[in-house]
Amino acid sequence: MALSLEELEAAIIEKATKSPKPQLYVKDFYKCDPDAKPRQIKNVANDLVKKGELMFWSSGSTTMYARPDRIKDEEGAEGIN
Amino acid sequence: MAKHETPLLDELEKGPWPSFVTDLKRQAETKPECWDILGQLELSYKDRITHWKHGGIVGVFGYGGGIVGRYSDVPAQFPGVEHFHTVRVAQPSGLYYTTENLRALMDLWEKYGSGVTNLHGSTGDMIFLGTRTENLEPLFWDLTHDLGQDLGGSGSNLRTPACCLGESRCEWSCYDTQEICNHLTQHYQDEIHRPAFPYKFKFKFSGCANDCVAAVARSDFSVVGTWKDQIQIDQAAVKAYLNGDEGYPVNGGAHKGGDWGPFDIQKEVFDLCPTQCMWMEGDELKIDDAECTRCMHCINVMPRALRPGKEKGASILMGAKAPILDGAQFSTLVIPFIEINKENDFEEVIDVIEKVWDWWMEVGKNRERVGETMQRVGLPTFLSVMEIEPLPQHVREPRSNPYVFWKEEEVPGGWDRDVKEFRKRHAA
Ligand code: HEM
Ligand code: HEM
Ligand code: SF4
Ligand code: SF4
Repeated sequence: MALSLEELEAAIIEKATKSPKPQLYVKDFYKCDPDAKPRQIKNVANDLVKKGELMFWSSGSTTMYARPDRIKDEEGAEGIN
Repeated sequence: MAKHETPLLDELEKGPWPSFVTDLKRQAETKPECWDILGQLELSYKDRITHWKHGGIVGVFGYGGGIVGRYSDVPAQFPGVEHFHTVRVAQPSGLYYTTENLRALMDLWEKYGSGVTNLHGSTGDMIFLGTRTENLEPLFWDLTHDLGQDLGGSGSNLRTPACCLGESRCEWSCYDTQEICNHLTQHYQDEIHRPAFPYKFKFKFSGCANDCVAAVARSDFSVVGTWKDQIQIDQAAVKAYLNGDEGYPVNGGAHKGGDWGPFDIQKEVFDLCPTQCMWMEGDELKIDDAECTRCMHCINVMPRALRPGKEKGASILMGAKAPILDGAQFSTLVIPFIEINKENDFEEVIDVIEKVWDWWMEVGKNRERVGETMQRVGLPTFLSVMEIEPLPQHVREPRSNPYVFWKEEEVPGGWDRDVKEFRKRHAA
């Protein structure tokens, strides 16, 4: 990959902080480093969850990522299956 | 919790079949929250809209799957289903349980949940229906620490792999379905517990084309046992079937309740052979194995006379899915034969899996199953991505399109040519 691990982590966090919607698909992070393999990006994003920088958010059938401080509604959003 | 009036649901108890309404009422005697399931469903019948909310941030720490969040949108009326999350518990390969284990699981669920279960869900897991967020971590702790069991997959994860009972009980199994199912479950723990893909992805393993786990209908990656060489024939047993000898019931006796008359091999076997590759020569059964599509039909009818060949392995089909976005579809044959090799930790199969994943993660749209991505790009493109030569087995029907499209690299000299040189030989 073109970015170092730290740079990639920072880019993912920035993306999740500035995105119009708080919830993102893993695919939305691919653009953070177009040279990295999708599975590498997935691993870094999942690591960020372990570190508490991101959290998983489930729409019911798809799992998305979000910055914990951007998710307020304890019960999640309605109407997305 | 109050009992609710449920005149509409009560109608569902009147038919001759078992009713989930009756079951839930019975369960409500010890788990009063079940009254609220009934009450809320009754309200939905009246309002003609669901009162369940999907999704949210429910789960156990470190896992991005295994719990399916459900909340009531009328919790004040039905506090018992304010939270009603589903817990997916990974099933053992081949669905073998000890009664001791089943009791322990049920005790766990009585303690932390509604006691309502579904064994087994469409994905394969045990489904525990209905618990509150604060029960999830303690339940998970007990499940993993006391029972040594784990949650299954949900969301955009690899779903809990599932297999038929395979070699443990079935002589037709062409490979050890339980072994590969368990191996890949361990190998892909991260993919099972944390989101990995544009959408869900399922492996299922059947030991033969009878496909007892319905891999071809239910999994993105269906591994179905098959063989390369000839069906093994015991001619003496064929004669015993033809004579209707005792101990040679057709279909292993499966349909013996009906009066079918004497066994008619022409009608019951040859005419139903999809490739019409069987016939009698005198009193010898003949099979043109080059034509046989390994469908298992003749073997099912005459299990003591016929068995799968000796050179065993599997076919890999990809892309089945339920009809959520487009129509439902079965898996498409991609690899007609692959060895299933325990000695090298199933390396050949893992190579194929990771090749599809790498491609689909890149090219698949959000919430697009791999079968939909395959459909979008077309089978020829998909095969070239997979570096598989097109084979007759990939062809569903003779072509109706007269055009052949070549790619530049397939044509000697590519698209460039010297027009003047050409015109010397072919005047315009
Ligand atoms: C009129 C009401 C209902 C009808 C007609 C109904 C019917 C069905 C049918 C036909 C299936 C498919 C079974 C299969 O594939 O073998 C199913 C699955 C399911 N039902 Fe119901 N159901 C009803 C109410 C409920 C309620 C109240 C709940 C939960 C409290 C529920 C939870 C489920 C779940 C979780 C599944 C999926 C299980 C699986 O994946 O196998 N259903 N239902
Ligand atoms: C209008 C209401 C609902 C609709 C349209 C709906 C739709 C669906 C669909 C399409 C699936 C996927 C089935 C499959 O691919 O196998 C599904 C699965 C499921 N639903 Fe629902 N659902 C509804 C209500 C509910 C409710 C009320 C519950 C629980 C309280 C529930 C729990 C589940 C669970 C646990 C599964 C997965 C079962 C498994 O793992 O096999 N759903 N639902
Ligand atoms: S799929 Fe085939 S091998 Fe597996 S249990 Fe069924 S009949 Fe036996
Ligand atoms: S397995 Fe199926 S295709 Fe092959 S000979 Fe038997 S009936 Fe015909």
